[in-house]
Amino acid sequence: MTAPSDARLRDIFVDMLIARTQAGRLWNLQRQGQVGPVAPLDGHEATIVGAAHALDPEHDWVVPQYREPLGLRRYGPEILERFMLYNLGHPAGGHIPEPIRVLPNQIALATQIPHAVGIAWGMTLRGEPGVALAFFGDGSSSEGDFYEAGNLAGVLGAPVIMLCVNNQWAISTPVHLQTAADSFAAKAAAFGIPGVLVDGNDASAVYDAVDEARSRALAGRGPTLIEATLYRLGAHTTADDPTRYVPAEDLEAARRDDPLLRLRGYLEDRGLWDDGAQEATEVEALELLDRALDRARAEPLAPGSLLDHCYATDTPRLTRQRADLTGGSER
Amino acid sequence: MSGTASDGPGGTSDLTMVQAINETLHAEMERDERVVLLGQDVARNGGVFRATEGLVEKFGDRRVVDMPISEAAIAGATVGLAIAGLVPVAEIQFLGFSYQAMHQLAGQVARLRYRTRSRFEPAITIRAPFGGGVRTPELHSDSLEGQFANIPGLKIAMPATADDAKGLLAASIREPDPVLFLEPLRGYRGIRGPVPDGEHVVPLGVARAARQGDDVVVIAWSYQVELACRAADTLRGEGLSVGVLDLRTLVPLDVEAITEVVCHCGRAVVVQESPETSGFASEIVATIVDECFWSLEAPVVRVSGYDVPYPVGRLEDLYVPDEARIIAAIRRVLDSA
Amino acid sequence: MSFLFRLPDIGEGLEEAEIVEWLVAPGDVVSRDQALVEVLTDKASSELPSPVAGTVIRLGAAEGDRLTVGEVLIELDDGSEPAEPTDAPDWSTADVVPAPKPTDVVEPGGGVPGRVKAAPSTRKLARDLDVDLNALTGSGPGGRIAAEDVRAASAPAGTAADSADHARPAGDLGRMSPGRHPLRGVRGVVARNMARSWSEVPHIHSMDEIDASMLVDFRRRLRGMDRPGASSVTPLTIAAAAAARALRLFPMVNACIEGSPGESIIVHGSVNLGIAVSTDSGLVVPVVRDADLLDLFDLAGAIADLASRGRDGTLTAADLAGGTFTITNYGSLGGRWATPLIVPGQAAILGLGAIADRPLVVDGEVVARPTLPIVLGADHRLIDGDLSSAFRRAITEDLLEPLRLLVGG
Repeated sequence: MTAPSDARLRDIFVDMLIARTQAGRLWNLQRQGQVGPVAPLDGHEATIVGAAHALDPEHDWVVPQYREPLGLRRYGPEILERFMLYNLGHPAGGHIPEPIRVLPNQIALATQIPHAVGIAWGMTLRGEPGVALAFFGDGSSSEGDFYEAGNLAGVLGAPVIMLCVNNQWAISTPVHLQTAADSFAAKAAAFGIPGVLVDGNDASAVYDAVDEARSRALAGRGPTLIEATLYRLGAHTTADDPTRYVPAEDLEAARRDDPLLRLRGYLEDRGLWDDGAQEATEVEALELLDRALDRARAEPLAPGSLLDHCYATDTPRLTRQRADLTGGSER
Repeated sequence: MSGTASDGPGGTSDLTMVQAINETLHAEMERDERVVLLGQDVARNGGVFRATEGLVEKFGDRRVVDMPISEAAIAGATVGLAIAGLVPVAEIQFLGFSYQAMHQLAGQVARLRYRTRSRFEPAITIRAPFGGGVRTPELHSDSLEGQFANIPGLKIAMPATADDAKGLLAASIREPDPVLFLEPLRGYRGIRGPVPDGEHVVPLGVARAARQGDDVVVIAWSYQVELACRAADTLRGEGLSVGVLDLRTLVPLDVEAITEVVCHCGRAVVVQESPETSGFASEIVATIVDECFWSLEAPVVRVSGYDVPYPVGRLEDLYVPDEARIIAAIRRVLDSA
Repeated sequence: MSFLFRLPDIGEGLEEAEIVEWLVAPGDVVSRDQALVEVLTDKASSELPSPVAGTVIRLGAAEGDRLTVGEVLIELDDGSEPAEPTDAPDWSTADVVPAPKPTDVVEPGGGVPGRVKAAPSTRKLARDLDVDLNALTGSGPGGRIAAEDVRAASAPAGTAADSADHARPAGDLGRMSPGRHPLRGVRGVVARNMARSWSEVPHIHSMDEIDASMLVDFRRRLRGMDRPGASSVTPLTIAAAAAARALRLFPMVNACIEGSPGESIIVHGSVNLGIAVSTDSGLVVPVVRDADLLDLFDLAGAIADLASRGRDGTLTAADLAGGTFTITNYGSLGGRWATPLIVPGQAAILGLGAIADRPLVVDGEVVARPTLPIVLGADHRLIDGDLSSAFRRAITEDLLEPLRLLVGG
């Protein structure tokens, strides 16, 4: 077990704060009619960022659900660029360019977990070092793909980390209606792999857990299921009203346990953070997002792109449809 | 329309369809070390129809992998394997069980390239047997090709001969897009023919004239091509000139070949084992209306299974199109005046 | 510059929202993302933040009002230069270059160059009217043959006599180049009809050869009469008149079997005689309607007119339709015996061989007399030997004594 260094924790906190700040602006942009639906990550920052920092971007794959992109700064500034295109409904948002080892958002819950298993398995077949980490929520763990992928991972001994982000809610379904199991981590028994329960608000603990799972995997000792327990501090998405079902006192208590507050306090105690750093980081976060938004808005989009990338080359039927669409062939 | 491409030197061997498939898997795994086989019972057992016989012995259990019983995990894993740069060739033991993997096949495999704007090359092949005439239990014979054809991003290859089983499978494995490679159960041992030795690739999207004819053309795929040819040969004895067009691939569809032969004859029959409503034959008829309407002498007639779930053994022969029903359809089309 | 913040769809398909509480007033200076107003929708109560920093100019609605998505919520002065008011871009429609109008409309229906284009219904019409599509120039788009083209072609010609393939001078009879030719046009129509007749109708042919002396003499004497139509009376005419009478005596012969092998017997109400005419384009069978109601001279005139129009190629579809019985004068091409095929839709056909002097036994002596071979082909599903003999005898009696046609009996 290797606890992250203070310098590492400061880097983690910067990414967490940037993620939270940018998430706030993104929410507002949706309310202003400027972007499409948004799934805020308030409360998830320690888990997402802590996990990302325990990975090696050059070799390890991140297989997200849809709440993670703002927390994946560790994998490069292009993630934000593509995420803004995604939020503008531009197809280029799905193309995260080489050599970045991050997949685009997945809307169909849990379907990305078998992909992560396949990637991990594929890397061992190619003799490449590296793990694949899949993020998914408590709700996703009820889908068949969670069990089918976990079972396959166990049998193959694939170097995959299944990271269940238990934020207590699947839209309005609380976890006690999602499963009768003692925990999500306990389900690892079905796969014959270790299940690890970790405080998802503690970035250092998450970092540890992921780092250990990664070492296990790279040593050929197979997959791990990690459950990071936290609380969804915001709405499920911009189309959701949590005041209808989240008890106010639970939310209050969760807010007091906000992962940003916790880590900020720790750093400030060590003289590694102050108000000046806070303000500068928040300003920088917004500038980064605004510039990415501007660039995304300027990205051209031709009607013919509707038909691009379905196949490597158009079928005859698509060739005709392309002519119908554009009045002329574009390829 | 053309026969084959990339024929290697040397002669041919007389093989059954399953032998041709097996030979191709051997050859492709030899040719490209990225090719990985995965499926239920494919390794030591060599596949329940012996299609993967001998492969684990030759290439090892890292490249020929027995999977747990989870079609969704098999299909989902191919996505990950393709992302990692491999060329997965997965087997679904019977096409009817692809329903257990539909969300991965339709929502993920078919969309990997489109969603990521070609960041990844989904060189994925999914092999599955299907088709009637062998008295299987439920869900083992269902023809689902029409349902898959409505999913953009997939390609569908359906060989009717041993030669094409080799050529189309080689093309499918080399294709940079996901291909559903559907093998007729009756054809595994029931179809036999000369197969070129050595390198043999039949490009996807090119139909084959199984019989030449002027009065009417029967458009078919997979095992029904064999039955259509028998019908054509029977009717030649009556002086009727019946062509048979073997589509070979449903997606991409060889629209040019269909247009040429149907405009020439002015009459067409389409044969499918799937239920009538919304089967792929409907797409052929629509294509014929698009391309050949002004040359039609008679309505296009479909020969199909009935609009009921695939029946039990004793009723199977009533359900699956046979030579007699194809002949009746041909006569109907020729009598229309 | 004035900035109009319009009410967005904040909930995936919402159409309107109610203003619950304004958090700013005109004149207030606001920062970007500062909450401006609380609105209530079907899904949730939400605060809407300002897209820009600036000064509030006016509120677009009062508390309690309902606004539709797209209506102005608030107008702000964002402090920038240009005079035009602008809106925040709609994220879901911005930046897609509008598609240019397609310049090349591909005509649906396709078709392969070289093969005549016609709708299936037009093809059927052509078949019914015996028109060869290949001979026509289409008036439809892309040279497509329209129904009007087919009707126009059938009106003057009727049998595609203008088809290049089939209008041949007599010297070309039977000439065709080696190789495969499409069986189309008149030849195709004839082939179909013959095949149908052959395969569907069980023919019996009964034959007789009669002393034609009275016939020949009758005709000679008629020709000398000063009577319109008299000169057109031929042995064919007399046989036609005899047949028309016989059909009234034996209605079952003026009938046909419907279906194959047969579901019903249709007995025709009228006697419409088809007269086979040989033309340059092939065999045609125009019809004399209600032949039993015409006297001999009118019948002769009608037959002569049809024959001449047949040779001119000016028969119409109406001329060819509705026959109930056919007479074929195969003897006009020479020859004594033949086994003519019944026209589909009919039950019998009368064939007339060449009248020539032949040996005949009269009063125990062999003498040379003009004789007329006649053949009756009949549908054996409907007509047995006794009926066919009786019918043939009725005709024969009139041919042996043609005066009966003028005076009845």
